[in-house]
Order: sequence, then C-alpha cells, then structure tokens
Amino acid sequence: MPAIKVRATDRSIKKLTIEDLKIIREKYKDPRTIGTKASILVCGGSACAARGSLKIQENLSGELEKKGISSSEVSVYETGCNGFCNQSPVINVYPDMTLYQAFKPEDVPAIVDEHFIKGQPADRFVYKDIKEKKSIPNRQDIPFFSLQTRRVLNKSGLIQPDDIEAYIFHNGYTGLVRAVTAMKPQEIVKEIKDSGLRGRGGGGFPTGLKWEISMNRPDHTKYVICNAGPISRSIIENDPHSIIEGMIIAGRAIGAAKGFIYVREPDNLFILRRLHTAIERARGCGFLGDNIFDSGFDFTIDVSFGAGTFICGEETALIRSMEGKRGFPTPKPPYPAQSGLWGRPTIVDNAETFANVPLIIANGQAWFRSVGTHSSPGTKIFTLGGAVNLNGLIEIPMGTTFRSIVYEIGGGLKKKSTLKAVHIGGPTGGVIPESLIDTPATYEDITAAGVIVGSGNLIIMDNNTCMVNEALGAMEFGHGESCGKCVPCRIGTKVMYDKLLDITEGRGKLEDIDMLAELAFEVKRTTLCGLGQTSPIMVLTAIKYFREEFETHIKDHWCQAGKCRTLSTFVIEPKTCTGCGSCARKCPQGAISGEKKKPHLIDQALCIQCRSCFETCPFVSIRIEPSVAEEVDSW
Amino acid sequence: MEGNILIVDDDDIVVKSCDSVLAPEGFTITGTTDSSKAIELIRDNDYDIVITDLNMPGIDGFELIRQINALKPSTGIVVITGFTSQQNIKDILQLGIIDYISKPFSPHTLLETILKATYLIKKIKALSTAEPDTEPDAKKKTEALNNIIDEYKSVPGSLLRVLESAQDLIGYLPPSVQRFIANGLRIPVSEVYSVVSFYPYFTMKARGKHHIRVCVGNACHAKKSGQILTRLKRNLNFNEDNITADGKFSFETVRCLGACGFAPIVEIDYDTHGAVDPDKTLDILKDYH
Repeated sequence: MPAIKVRATDRSIKKLTIEDLKIIREKYKDPRTIGTKASILVCGGSACAARGSLKIQENLSGELEKKGISSSEVSVYETGCNGFCNQSPVINVYPDMTLYQAFKPEDVPAIVDEHFIKGQPADRFVYKDIKEKKSIPNRQDIPFFSLQTRRVLNKSGLIQPDDIEAYIFHNGYTGLVRAVTAMKPQEIVKEIKDSGLRGRGGGGFPTGLKWEISMNRPDHTKYVICNAGPISRSIIENDPHSIIEGMIIAGRAIGAAKGFIYVREPDNLFILRRLHTAIERARGCGFLGDNIFDSGFDFTIDVSFGAGTFICGEETALIRSMEGKRGFPTPKPPYPAQSGLWGRPTIVDNAETFANVPLIIANGQAWFRSVGTHSSPGTKIFTLGGAVNLNGLIEIPMGTTFRSIVYEIGGGLKKKSTLKAVHIGGPTGGVIPESLIDTPATYEDITAAGVIVGSGNLIIMDNNTCMVNEALGAMEFGHGESCGKCVPCRIGTKVMYDKLLDITEGRGKLEDIDMLAELAFEVKRTTLCGLGQTSPIMVLTAIKYFREEFETHIKDHWCQAGKCRTLSTFVIEPKTCTGCGSCARKCPQGAISGEKKKPHLIDQALCIQCRSCFETCPFVSIRIEPSVAEEVDSW
Repeated sequence: MEGNILIVDDDDIVVKSCDSVLAPEGFTITGTTDSSKAIELIRDNDYDIVITDLNMPGIDGFELIRQINALKPSTGIVVITGFTSQQNIKDILQLGIIDYISKPFSPHTLLETILKATYLIKKIKALSTAEPDTEPDAKKKTEALNNIIDEYKSVPGSLLRVLESAQDLIGYLPPSVQRFIANGLRIPVSEVYSVVSFYPYFTMKARGKHHIRVCVGNACHAKKSGQILTRLKRNLNFNEDNITADGKFSFETVRCLGACGFAPIVEIDYDTHGAVDPDKTLDILKDYH
C-alpha cells in the first residue's frame, strides 16, 4: 500500500458559504460547453482504462490538432464510468451525446474525420441494436441507457469525479445545506424514515429506523461508517462526493462528529486516491471540518481499511476489523446502532445507501418514492454480467422484472445460448430459474424466491451452466471465507463442499441431495452472521429449482452442461457435422480426426473434456452425453 | 538426524556416555572436560547444540552459557544438572536455554531432548536466514519499522495499519517482524499472529517481484478463471510457496475484486487486467520484467 499523495486543491477553494454555492452553480463553466462546437467525454472507468482510454485521449487531441480543430472548438476531457463496460472503450460527443463504443485507439482518426469533418456520426463505431442491427448513435436512445432510471448514477459518465465544482453544479451539497441549516436532526431522520430507504448492502434493513435508534442514544460520541465493499467501488469511482455528502447528513442526524469510509482492500490505490482527493476538497470547501455552514456542527471523515476479507462486509466484523482485531462477527443485539465502534453507537451503511441520502433530503421523500414499489422504493444499482449481450453497471427502479433486465437492458442472451437461471446476490447469493424470470426486483420478492438482494450482483446463466458445479463453487467460497467462529458455517460448508465434489466427480448418492438440503438449511438457521446465513443459499436454491440436475449427475453420471469432467462425454453428431475442421484445430489433445467435409470423430481415450470443441463448433453439432466410464469410483 | 554437538562436562564418563548415545544417531560429537577449552571450541566452530554441566571447576556452566549467548547467540543450549530444585531450574531457564536434563538420566531421555532441541534450532536458523536482520539494509528497515510503530503506538486499533505498512516495507510478515511489532505496540504476539493469519492481505511468505492475483469469484469462475490458473501454474512452474524459481512471479487466488462486469480478472502488482483468457494472461506477463 504505497503512500498516497493528494494535492490539497487544484483551484484555490476557500470555505464556501451558501451564497458561494449559488454563485458556483451560476458561474461554473460546464466542461461540456468549453468547446464551442462540441466536447468529447472520454470514459475513464476501469474497463475503459484497461482498453486504452488514456491513449484514446491522446489520439483524439493529436488528431483534432492535425485536422486544424483547436481545443477551444472541440475540447476533450475524461469522465467517470458510463457503466457500459461491455462495449468499452466508450466516448460521448456533447452536445448531442453521440456515443462511440468498442473501437481501438487507432480508429480515432476515422471517428474524428467522419464526425467533425464530414459532420455525420461515424456509423462503424456507433452502437447497433442487437436484433435489428440498426445504428443508434445517441446515448439517450440506446435501450441500455434509456430503460434505466439513473439517480445515484445520474452524473456518472458526465462529470469528472474529482471535480467538486462539477458536483456542486449538478445540485450537489444542496441536501447538506438543507439538512444543516433548515432541518432538525429529528426531521432528517423522519424524512429518511418516510422515504422508506432500505439498506442497499444486502439485508434491506430500513435506514431511517437504524438512524433513529442511534439518534436516541444519549452518548456524546457516535460514529458513521460507510462500508465501501467491492460493489460500492462503482459509486466511489464515479461520484465520491455523493457518499461524503450522505455521510455528513447522517452525522448531523444522529449527532456524530466522526465518519469513516471502510475500504476492504488496502491496495486499491485508484479508489483510495479518489476518496482522499474528494475528502480533501470537501474539507477545503468547508463541508467537512468545524462549524459547517456556521451551524455549530462539526464532522470529519477518515478512510479506514481492512485487509481483504469478505466477512468484514458484515457490520460487526467490520467494526472489529476497524478496532484492529480479527474480523469476527459478534452477536446482535446489541446492534451497532446501539453499541458499535469502541462501544459507541455506530451506523454502518453501504456507499449506495449514503449516495441516496442527499437526493432524498434535497428532493423530498415523495420524490424518492415516485419510483419503485411501496415497500421497496427508489432505485437499485446492479452489476449485470454473465451470458447477456450487454454487461455493465445499471440502475433501475425497484420492482423492474428480471425479464426486463435480461432481455431489454441487457440486450438478451448471447448467440447460441438460452436462459437457464439468474444468479442474484453476489458470492453468497443464489439462483432463480428461468420460470421465475418475471419476479420483480424488490427486497420482498427476491427474498420470497429464496435468494437475497445482497450486493446487487446479477449473473445471467445460460444453458451451459452446471448448477451442481456452481453450488460447488459457492461452497468453496463459503468455506474459504468462513471466519471460523461458528461451527455450522465452518464445518457445514466444508461437508457440503465435499458432498458436492463427490457428486461432480461421480461418487454421489441419491440420499446426498436431501442431506445437502437439510445441512444447508441448518447452516442458514444456526449461524451468527450474514455470511453464514447466506452462503448456503446457492445450495438451497440449486436443489430447490434444479433437483433433477443433481439426480442426472448421480444416477446417469451425466453433466448435461459438460462442466463436470468425469461426468461428460463429448460426441460429434455425424448428421450435422459439416467437417469444417475448426474443432480439430482447437483440440489441445489432437483427439479429433476426420477428413475434410466429412463428419469428424472424437477419440474418447484422448479427450480431456476441455470443452474447446463444444465452444468452437459453429454448427452446434457436438453433444454432451453421459460418462462412458463404467464405475467412476465405486467406493 | 544431522547436527553438530559439543558436550562439556568435567566428568569424563558423562561425555563418553553422551557420545555413545548420540553418535549412532548421526550427530557429530565433540567432547571436552575443560570449560575454558569449550569456549575456544565454540568460538572456532559452529555448533547446533551445546550440552553443558552447571557445576564445573574454573568457568562454571552459568558463565559458559552467558559466553555462548554473547559469542554465538543462535547456538542451542541444553543443560545437564544434578540440582533440580525449583529455584535452580528457574535460574537456568532464564539464561535462555532450550531444555534441561536432570541427572541421572536414561539414554532415551537424552536422545529425545537432543532430537527436539536440534529440530527447534534448525527451524530457528532457517527462519533467521529469511529474517530482515540478515539483509544489507536491515538497519534502515528496522528504523523505518520503528518509526511506523511510533507513529501508531497511541492510536487505538491501529494494528492493521502497522501490519500493512510493515508488509509494504518488508514484503511479507515473518515471525520476527510479528514479534517486533508486538513488542513495539505492547500487545501479545498471539494477538498479532491472530490478525496476520486471519486476513488474506497479509502474507507470512515472501512474494515474487511481480505478484499475480487471479480472481476466482463467482463471475470470474463462470468465465473460466480456473483455466487461467491452470495455465499459469503449468507455464511458470511455481513451487509450493506459489513463487517461481527465479523469484520473479508469485501468485494467489482472490475472491471477487468487484469488477464482475469485466470478468475474468487478473491483477498483476497494482494493474487490473479484465476480460482475459489464458493466452492473453501469458502475453500480459511478458511486459513484466
């Protein structure tokens, strides 16, 4: 964890008054309008950065200069993540927000030429509709964006995340001004309670209620902690000030003077630098520090970090870790809101929850409730991944169905695949089958389906997914991340892992399925913390919805997805094989032979079940059949 | 077991009997009845274990132990004594010895004790060669570590930060560093160890020049990060400590780096590489020298 150096302020920012904020909003020169003709917004998110966004910026500036376009006519600047990571790199051209995607740094001249010289969108690099192959040049018309409701993410991809003035310009810190100067702590808590905001970290505990418990404690010292786990990364990357503002408001509401942002990985330099910069600038403007807006209210924020354990996302374990101890969870009650860090009342919320707070305070709870359902109001950020065409970061009103997420926002499934299940809730989440695809994404409906909202991670699984294998992976995770405090979690996950391994390797027995289900249920019921209670969910839901798959593994020694090596045989269907030879070229074992334009054959003695041929075959003529081995391992 | 052993006792029978028990076990034995000669021998040779009597004419056992600790502190000392009163034992244990054998003793006791002592001393020697003390810039690092400890000494709950800084400084957290930190922060070593062993960020083993992390979280697992791992292991020949023979690369698996939309993820040093496959990963590694 190298030292982080932060420039205190890039412009001479002094402590601001409310009038100053108004002046900034009036005078602020939106970088989008600096170029008289247009401005190019280069996405600087981690996905785009990995695909050369820096090089693209350079190329753009160079190319514009070459074509005789000055930087005052067309300006280039970097923004936060657009969330369109699947199509990275992404650039937007303001004012009409033409979006160019999935190009290489070398394609920049072509884009500049088409767009600025010829004056029309460079069709080759704009987004094409997946079904109709129609070009959609403008960002706001692309279904991925148009079907989202971006509230927390509304500035991402449009502003420079380090620029506090940009944040202020987009109505940032209005909520804070209102909370500090015009509202009593009780009113803030009431507003949050009325908004129905629920903790976005997984459990969905009503945030207002938590705050109220803390507010009513008589202690003088209280703490506010922002749990910045991996999924919160997206918000910190794009809009760190929204979290800071939310935390200050929370501090005001419960009477805390100290806040911590807990980052789980101490080596995540990008995030740490961004946080330090944001805190430093907020302090420079007087949003942090003593006597904020002359109200007599003091609040400071420090960044604190753990050392990379999943369990430290659990609030009590997080607090132990901040105290410099092993991250063991402790029984609740007492809740952290009553007795948390160093025994003081502490509210722990995740970054997305805090990012919602300033919006609620600034716009009122009625506005917040205007989207979402009655008991799960507002929006929720999900990361969309897996077998869908468009992966990325999305924000949708709660209550949107998974069908809409998969087929409309995500652009449906990739070629050759059909939907099998949606995995919800991150590493400790579970699956819902295709038949429940119309489930609305609300806390109640997701819980009713047997899974959790968790960190808001969606993985779309296609027909090539083996549920037994996925459950095995989940148990490997659960077993590896168990802190070891509770026996059911520590040993139960290991026993489940062993049983699942037996099944995937052909040693399973039919009674194992019931035993697994029972064990998973007991682990869920008897462990202390959220990790132990959620890690068996994958096993439970896989058995609940895909029991027959476990049975074929055990009875027929057949993994239909071909993921369990010992339980699958790859066979070429002679009727559909055209003899193109692409599988034979890919086979690392040289196990496939055959004449050109004639059906090929796989030598089962050489085959190592690596799936390369299955994935390569353009004609889907490779079948997966039960294992040919007589008795895989009889004992 | 191999080992270089010196036996010091004014009674020649004891020296001879020890020799007859230990020599067949593969130990190299030197014996002397003169304690001042023993000091010369210790100065000139490297013994793993010195077995000594306490009551001797001239330089007695207590003095001899003090001298050994000054001359060759990494020598293991086993005391043979006829005075096994509690105070006596307390005194000799405080001198920093490994064990004591009370006279009269059986060959079996002697052998057991010496085997245990040799095993221990070898372990300590192996550790101390990896400790920062033997590095050329050890002094600088000790000083830096002291500064870190001083900075956080009065901050409650700062153990994690101290350990993170220490790992940054030294690269890993061997037992000696853990002891050093425990001493500095005035907390039990067990507490330091409990924290170091709990968090995956901390490592007690040295890492390679470039550290590769392969994400095996759900999304990456679904996108076959396992294949990347297999290929890395096959191509780079990691040893059991997950480090290559030339010390250039080391690897570990991590669970979810939080960039699931861009799976599978491989992180090298502080650079994140997304949407990679086995071939691409090996290509990327070529850029790290």
